[in-house]
Amino acid sequence: MATAVKLFAVAKAGVTPALRPAVLARMLSTSTPQQSYKNISRPDSKTDWPNILDEAISTLALKEILVGFGLTLGVMFREPATINYPFEKGPLSPRFRGEHALRRYPSGEERCIACKLCEAICPAQAITIEAEERADGSRRTTRYDIDMTKCIYCGFCQEACPVDAIVEGPNFEFSTETHEELLYNKEKLLDNGDRWEPEIASNIHADHLYR
Amino acid sequence: MAGNLPRAGTLAEKIQRFRRIVDQSGGLKGFFLRLQRIDDVKEGKLVGVDKFGNKYYENPLYFVGRNRWVEYSDRYGYDYDGSQIPAEWYGWMHYKTDKLPSEDPTRPKYKWIKEHEENPTGTERAYVPYSTTRPKIEAWKPPKA
Repeated sequence: MATAVKLFAVAKAGVTPALRPAVLARMLSTSTPQQSYKNISRPDSKTDWPNILDEAISTLALKEILVGFGLTLGVMFREPATINYPFEKGPLSPRFRGEHALRRYPSGEERCIACKLCEAICPAQAITIEAEERADGSRRTTRYDIDMTKCIYCGFCQEACPVDAIVEGPNFEFSTETHEELLYNKEKLLDNGDRWEPEIASNIHADHLYR
Repeated sequence: MAGNLPRAGTLAEKIQRFRRIVDQSGGLKGFFLRLQRIDDVKEGKLVGVDKFGNKYYENPLYFVGRNRWVEYSDRYGYDYDGSQIPAEWYGWMHYKTDKLPSEDPTRPKYKWIKEHEENPTGTERAYVPYSTTRPKIEAWKPPKA
């Protein structure tokens, strides 16, 4: 077959008829391809009686299966390469962008001044803000909603914030059973800030040299 | 991390280590209870207990990711959850810092900081969204003739 293909190729290439017999003579010989291959399959076992007996015994006793079980048993006592969540947890960066939180000043006053920069920069348009003047004359939000199912966790909101009010906290274990539980309002975000402030402040401190 | 400490190598050392783990778990019964609850029994130094009773252990002989672990408080039983670790211990647990919460000065203690709460989803305490503003549209009431 190879010879035929070669012949066809030669004819196609437009080699002169005078040259063709020489090409044919070389290609018809099969000794060269035979010598250029190497047999890598397992050599046939000897067919004397002791060998046949040995192979029959190992087949009947499922030797390979038992060796495989032994390997499995050995791995059970080895130190695993995985971590045992939730008892062990993986390393996390102080810059990790997780669940959002609205922070407060040390006095307990909320930081957000309703400048709406986060709302403007949010590429997913997940933030909704409404503002009003508070009784003491300061400008505050009356509505600060984040649709956590729209959010893409890019972190632009915390970078846009001039007063470090909205931050993406360290928490990532806020999965919920329903969609509506992820439509956060202002109270929920402030509540997150109140619970996570020790960790948020520690993260900001860890990163303060790079800001 | 002190990762270059000698590992338990010979069979005798391994048996000794196993006995230490059994002793630390509180006997064979505790060993099997812990194995059933945590799927893993390790020996380690108890570095702290938080206000909920979660116990934090460390053993630098294990590689990073496995060398710190928490044993959730008995009050949770089998209802343990990753979100039960309070914010104070969160950084240590996630290898952000080697300082324990008690010796870390960057963690403020304001009086308005609230108690940590586990993820309440699926319980009665689950968050339900509501509007924080007055409605802008009110239903028209027909004037009484």
